[in-house]
This record gives sequence, structure tokens and C-alpha cells, in this order.
Amino acid sequence: MLEISGLRKRFAGSPGTPEGKQALDGIGFTVRPGEMFGFVGANGAGKSTTMRIVMGVLKADAGTVTWRGEPVTYADRQRFGYMPEERGLYQKMRASEQIEYFGRLHGMSPDRAKKATEDLLERLGLTERRNSSVESLSLGNQQRVQLAVALVHDPELLILDEPFSGLDPIAVEALATVLQERCRGGVPVIFSSHQLELVERLCDSVGIVSAGRMVASGPVDELRAAEGGTLRVVVRNPAPGWADGLPGLVSVQGDRHVLVTEDGDDQEILRRAVKAGHVEHFGVEQPTLTEIFKEAVA
Amino acid sequence: MNGMMLVARREIVTQIRTRSFIFSLLITVVIVGALAFAPKLFDGPDAYTLGTVNSQQLPLEAAAPDMEFEWRAYPDEAAATRAVLDGDVDAALVDGSKVLTDGEIDTELGVLLQSTHREVKLGPAGVNIAPLQVESVGADTRYEAARTGIALVLVLVLFMLIIGQVMTVAMGVVEEKGSRIVEILLSSVRPWQLLGGKIIGLGVLGLINLGSILAVGLVASYVSGFAADFPPGMTGIMAGVILWFVLGYAFFATLGAALSALVSRQEEVGNVMSPISMVIMAAYFVAFYAVNDPTGPVATIVSFVPPFSSMVMPVRMAATEVPLWEVAASVGLMVLAVLATLSFGAKVYERAVLRTGARVKLGEVLRAK
Repeated sequence: MLEISGLRKRFAGSPGTPEGKQALDGIGFTVRPGEMFGFVGANGAGKSTTMRIVMGVLKADAGTVTWRGEPVTYADRQRFGYMPEERGLYQKMRASEQIEYFGRLHGMSPDRAKKATEDLLERLGLTERRNSSVESLSLGNQQRVQLAVALVHDPELLILDEPFSGLDPIAVEALATVLQERCRGGVPVIFSSHQLELVERLCDSVGIVSAGRMVASGPVDELRAAEGGTLRVVVRNPAPGWADGLPGLVSVQGDRHVLVTEDGDDQEILRRAVKAGHVEHFGVEQPTLTEIFKEAVA
Repeated sequence: MNGMMLVARREIVTQIRTRSFIFSLLITVVIVGALAFAPKLFDGPDAYTLGTVNSQQLPLEAAAPDMEFEWRAYPDEAAATRAVLDGDVDAALVDGSKVLTDGEIDTELGVLLQSTHREVKLGPAGVNIAPLQVESVGADTRYEAARTGIALVLVLVLFMLIIGQVMTVAMGVVEEKGSRIVEILLSSVRPWQLLGGKIIGLGVLGLINLGSILAVGLVASYVSGFAADFPPGMTGIMAGVILWFVLGYAFFATLGAALSALVSRQEEVGNVMSPISMVIMAAYFVAFYAVNDPTGPVATIVSFVPPFSSMVMPVRMAATEVPLWEVAASVGLMVLAVLATLSFGAKVYERAVLRTGARVKLGEVLRAK
């Protein structure tokens, strides 16, 4: 389990921004084993900074990061897999050699590193390009190699900064499948993304950051429940004034009246609707992650 | 294999595979091989062609056994004058009393002609002068020319190798920093392992270069016969060169890695490295000067001052005989300087290499806790 709490980080001023920037303002969240955690937020909200602190690339001014109950150490991080936002690979190195090299650096034996590399190349559809230098690969393929570098040593925790950006739908599927497998194997996965539909589909939990603070976090269902659903009732040819005194808005579309409300007693509304006319639709609509996000950062 | 050795191995494998590495190695090896034959081409026995008009040939060979003389007889002075002006002969002896030349006479030839002429005239008069016995009470200068030649080649080789490898280290550091590979690397290896591995790997490549150059140079010298002129203690000189390369490279490469870790873009490498390039250049100039004046005060003093000693001392060792204690003292000082640089460089590198973006100020890095 990865627990992050009270992270604060201030960047010193530069000629462009003399006053500096409070990048993180007490961010905190928890990721459990086998959980896929989606990290969303506007650009500059603090996602990358948080991930960089977890990976030890940056030092926090305050706050703690613990892994399995203990503060994260260098030895722990050796067993993490990391994909930085700005992709970093040796341009002149061959894809397979590069993946193998990082496996070896993480302490794998030559044989194990080789085998893990072959497996990943196959899973990610790179077998044919295994001997190509990274610079000769397409952007999407470079990204696959980058992911392979993060995965090669069978990490105990995955931290991926926008792993899906710039990928075509097929590559997104391939990548998502690999991540879901790792996750099912008990590995917590944290990834940031602006593709909210994707986050909604893949993640068990999400964290929404805004201006260095976690404005909402938890399982997607709970966030939805907290946000509350929207009740939508469609009644055909109701008696005029049927909805008087009921909360929400009524719009008239031909001979149909549509009532939309977020509060009020749904049973009372149903009774009134049935009395008023022919009820065609009565249902609670769950908010999408996009709606939750907009609401949260507003 | 630990992290540092893995990093070093990657540097070696990646570099060796590049075309530029193979080509530059081949080119230097060919040049050094050719240089071993140069003395034979330029420094062969002097030869003069002389003309005579109504004169006996002078027994110049007896006075200068290393030289070759060719005599041509001319019917009259006019013909001899033409031959001198056309460059057919270096000088012409007329009537046993006059020498015709085109401009000033070659000093050596002039002295030879005068003294032989005198001897020839004095002999019949019964004057017999025993030649002066020359006895050297100073250093053995028999190998001076060979020593100078070897030293000259060493200056160039050391300079090229050190500046080449140090720049490669700097470019490599910025490549990793600029592309952020360093962020992934540093989650699996320590900064000193990454820095050390890079320096060791590229140093081994430098040694491969140096070893090839020395080996080819030696073999070519034996083939060309130049090795016969080798001063005693050639093995010591070669071993010294390798030791001094290692020390000089370690010093400059560490400093180069530290300074280049301050910038994030390849375009800035030249800029941030200019102080180091300048120091290497300065060492090169002093070393070059030391080739011709290896015992002078400048060469002697500078051959103790790190990091200049790394280029000046090996040159002095080749150009003249340096007492062992001087070499030991100079090595000791340089080792201290290398250790100091390693601790300073590792600190700067560690603090600067993750700070991407604008150029990091050195003072800021040193002040940081």
C-alpha cells in the first residue's frame, strides 16, 4: 500500500515567475494493492510533481510518502516502475537492448532480463522492431518501449505519468491490457491522464487535483454517490401544473414534460407523475467522471 | 555485476559500435604508424653534390663519415657557375682555392670544406694535428632527437585523447539529463554509480585508443628501424604515459561531468565546458614548449602543478631523464587533485543532474544543503 500525505512543494521563483509557485499544497491519497488509481487534474495542478516526489526525483518540502507502512527508501524505489512525463530513452540504443539494460540496472540476472524483455516485446507488439534504434521508431512505438522499461523488472508499484497520451486506440488497448494484468497480480498502479473516459473505464479509484490540493478522491462509485445522481422523469400529456411545488426544472418538449432534479423525494415525485399522466421514463442518471471533475475543480 | 559496471559496460558497447569511434581509431593509428617512419624519410644522411674545376676532390668523407658526397668535374668556371645556379651542385671548387655558391654556403658544408682544405694543405708540410678528443661530462644526449620526436607525438596523443574523451563524457551527461533518462536511471542506481560508470567506461575506451596507438607506434618503430634510436627506459616512458593519461582523464572528466550536469541542452555544453577546454589547451601549450626545453624552469615547475602535470610530466619524461623522486612527487600531487575533484564533482553532479530546465548556477548548487 502506498500512502501519501500532506505533501508540500514550493518552486523557487525564476525570471518568468519571480514569486515562485506553490506546486503542492498538502496533497495526500492512498493506493491499495491491486488498485488502479487514476490521477486527474488540469495542467500544472501538481500530478507530475507528486509522482516525481514519490520516485525520489524531487524532494518534498513537507509531507510523507510511505510504502507498506514505512517511509519509502531507495531500495523500495528500485522495485518501482516509473514512466516520466518527458520520455527518456537512449536514442541510439536498440529497443531490446535498452529494455534489457534497465532490467539489469534493477538487479535482474542477464537471463531473467533477457527473458522479461522478450516477453514484453511480444506483449507490446514490438518483436519485429526489437533491433531498431529508438530514434527510428514511431512515437507510439517509442512509448511502448518506454512502458517496457518501466515494466521489465516486474515492479511492485507502477507510477506512470500520462502513459496514454499520443497513442492510437489500438496502442491504448494494448497498454491498458498490460496494466490491468499487472494490477490483477496485486501491483498498485498510479497513472495520470487527461483522457477521463479512459480513467473512468480502467480505474478503481481516482484522485482529482487542483492547484496542488486533492479536491476529491476515492473509488469512482463513491464519488458518483457523493455527487448524487440526477433524477429524470418524462411524463406524456400531464395535467397542467402537475409539478407545482416539486424541486427541479420542467421543460416541455411537444406533449412530453421532462423534469430534471438533483434533490427532493423521488417517491413523492413518482406518485405525482403517475397521477398526472403517462410516465415514459423515470430514472437516476449517474454523473460521468467528466462531470465530477468539472464540479470538483470549479 | 553492480550498477556502476553495468553503466560502464553500456558506454563501452554503445561507443565501440559507432562508426566514428572505429574511424578515428583507425586514422590515429595510421598517423602514428606513419610517424614512426618519418625520421627515415626526413632525417636520412645528408648528401651534397659538389663540382670541381681544375681541382682535386677533397677527402670530405674522412671528416664526415655520416654524409655522402658526389663529385662532378666541369671544364671551366663558367660551366661550374651555371651548374651552381641551376642547382645541379651545392657548391663548386675552382682551382683548389675558390668555392662558388648560390648565395650563402650551407654552414656545415662550409666548415667541412674549410677544415678539410686546411688539412690537405698542411699535410705535405709535415704538420700533423691529432683530432680533438670529445668527452661529454653532461647528460647523455645521444638520444635527444629520438626523445624529442617521441615527446612530440605524446603531447599530441595525450591532448587529443583527453579532450576527446572528456567532451564525450560531457555530451553523455547532458544527453541523459536533457532526455530525462536520468530520472529513470536514478531510481535504480546511485548518482555516483552513474557518474563513475560513465567516466570509467569512456576512460576504458580512451585506454583502448591509447594502447592501440602505443602498440602500433612501437611495432612500426621496430619495422622502420627507428626503434634503434630509442632511449633506454622506453617501457617506463610508455607506462608513464598510461598512468598520466588515467590521472589527467580522471581529473578533467570528473570536472567536465560536474559542469555539464548544470545544463540541459547539448548546445550549452561547449559554453559550460569552455573553462575546462581552456585549461587543457594551456596544459597542451606548456607541454608542447617542454618538448624543446624539458629542463627549463617553466617545464620543470609546471610539471609538478596539477592538472598541468598530467600532460607536462609525461612529455618531460620522454624528452629528458627525470629523477624518480620528481615523478613520484608529481604523481602524488596529481592523485590528491584527482581525489579532491572526485568528491567535488560527485557532489555537484548529484545536486544538479535532476534540476532540468534553465542552466543551474554553480554557486547555487554548492550552497544547497
